[in-house]
Amino acid sequence: MRALLSLLRTGSGWRVGAPAAARLPQATSAGSGPRRAMALYRTEERGQLHSQDYRIFFKNVAGHYISPFHDIPLKVDSKKEENGIPTKKARNDESENLFNMVVEIPRWTNAKMEIATQEPLNPIKQDVKDGKPRFTPNIFPYKGFIWNYGALPQTWEDPHQKDKSTNCCGDNDPIDVCEIGSKVLSPGEVIHVKILGILALIDEGETDWKLIAINANDPEASKFHDIDDVRKFKPGYLEATINWLTYYKVPEGKPENKFAFNGEFKNKAFALEVIKSTHECWKAMLMKKCDRGAINCTNVQVCGSPFHCTPEKARSLVESVLTSSSNKESNIDDQVWHFLGK
Amino acid sequence: KGQYISPFHDIPIYADKVRYPCHLNMIATKDPLNPIKQDVKKGKLRYVANLFPYKGYIWNYGAIPQTWEDPGHSDKHTGCCGDNDPIDVCEIGSKVCARGEIIRVKVLGILAMIDEGETDWKVIAINVDDPDASNYNVKWFSLEKCQQGCVPLRALEEDPFFSHCKLEFLVTDFAVDIIKSTHDYWKALVTKKTDGKGISCMNTTVSESPFKCDPDAAKAIVDALPPPCESACTIPTDGKIYIPIMLYLWFLCLAYFTWHYVHQVHPCYI
Repeated sequence: MRALLSLLRTGSGWRVGAPAAARLPQATSAGSGPRRAMALYRTEERGQLHSQDYRIFFKNVAGHYISPFHDIPLKVDSKKEENGIPTKKARNDESENLFNMVVEIPRWTNAKMEIATQEPLNPIKQDVKDGKPRFTPNIFPYKGFIWNYGALPQTWEDPHQKDKSTNCCGDNDPIDVCEIGSKVLSPGEVIHVKILGILALIDEGETDWKLIAINANDPEASKFHDIDDVRKFKPGYLEATINWLTYYKVPEGKPENKFAFNGEFKNKAFALEVIKSTHECWKAMLMKKCDRGAINCTNVQVCGSPFHCTPEKARSLVESVLTSSSNKESNIDDQVWHFLGK
Repeated sequence: KGQYISPFHDIPIYADKVRYPCHLNMIATKDPLNPIKQDVKKGKLRYVANLFPYKGYIWNYGAIPQTWEDPGHSDKHTGCCGDNDPIDVCEIGSKVCARGEIIRVKVLGILAMIDEGETDWKVIAINVDDPDASNYNVKWFSLEKCQQGCVPLRALEEDPFFSHCKLEFLVTDFAVDIIKSTHDYWKALVTKKTDGKGISCMNTTVSESPFKCDPDAAKAIVDALPPPCESACTIPTDGKIYIPIMLYLWFLCLAYFTWHYVHQVHPCYI
């Protein structure tokens, strides 16, 4: 029945083959509610995990390669469900404030995965340091990352602009998200999140905003509306976030990180403003109105962008990515706990 | 020799066995040959909760073989009877050990936990092969006694999240005494001087034990069970040959040193 309705609908960009896409493997669902009928994005892994050529590419429901940086909408369109059928009136205005989040690093893991902003179609890859795949150390009492970590698509912290709150330039990346829900997510998953607040980290002298958000599908999501709810229902989590972000590079020999606003978490309204401004920076970059540096802006779905390419061109870009038989790097430091004292 | 043994009874006390790195496994004290199995609660496999900010267990966790906390004896320090299990170890080294691994540990101290009204000592120790092991010596920790009767497990480091409840860590010689007493209880158990209701005392190496059986009988017990799993179930070995005599001498030296030390300082806190 649902497939029939989607066939009848026009102008939504949905293809006939869409229902079948939900049954394909490695489907990434962006459902917001118990009905996770359709998978909007799929991932395709290449290379061996924890090797230097490991990549996670993204595809849309039509099977076209897309960029998770540029081709996934920032905001979730509250006016329609994933299958293109218009909803009844939204239950509350919070559904208008749902954002897509691209998950890079699952909670409790160490591999530093990130969107490859300088590669065509920006797959997820593991960061490299000193020629080796990078793993974040375990800062006692924590194991790996203490939230699911990722980014909001279609945002960019411009390195040529000084942020007026932090007085530092942007870190040249999409804006980061710390997702505090109870489920451990996977790299490449695209989920809907509710924004709760934001922290102004200054990481090695660059502005590096950290959004605090919760998976809209989390069983407790309805209890979380703003940053104070995190203090109320997950006591200690925000303090642990500051602690973790302060020290996480110290075992590598870097100094402790600092924060603007004395480490104060700003609320949802403030966070939404920051998201808006990083979205504007991204738009300017995609329309070639500012210096993008080495960022690769190739995209498949941003109409009007001079960097737009056809799905066929995107496919040939992905297929030209060679994967050698490089070995998996083991990570013995994954086991070590660093005791830094407070 | 490839013969089945009991990790509870047939491994000498001076090589500690790691029970489980993260899941709630345990030595099956009631099963013949005491294999490691996963604890069951209300008919389901048991997993320990993740208590923020910790993930799973915060040390490698295991037991000292040839020890037993006798439920028939009330411990003079805690006032509670033993928990009917070998004595537990929290190994604080940097390597995540594997389930079933046998490692040698240096005892650093002991914590008097009272778990649901039973004495449940937790030995604090470090793997002798840890790169930092030589930095860990006899230390004197002295904190206020916890007011509550029930003393939950704590991390060795000062933990700001639990600063409302402070605990006592007692010096190594005291720890060694407690371990020795649980070894004595075990000896009584395995020589049938104490009735260990429900405990399987079957062993293959304790010559003075009436529960000693030959390797073929042990094999027959294991053969009667479901076949081995297909995925690798091999227990990792560290490739080192265990030298009991040297360890025993090391233990004697440590015992003498701590005995000598304790006579020069004020007595243990209780």
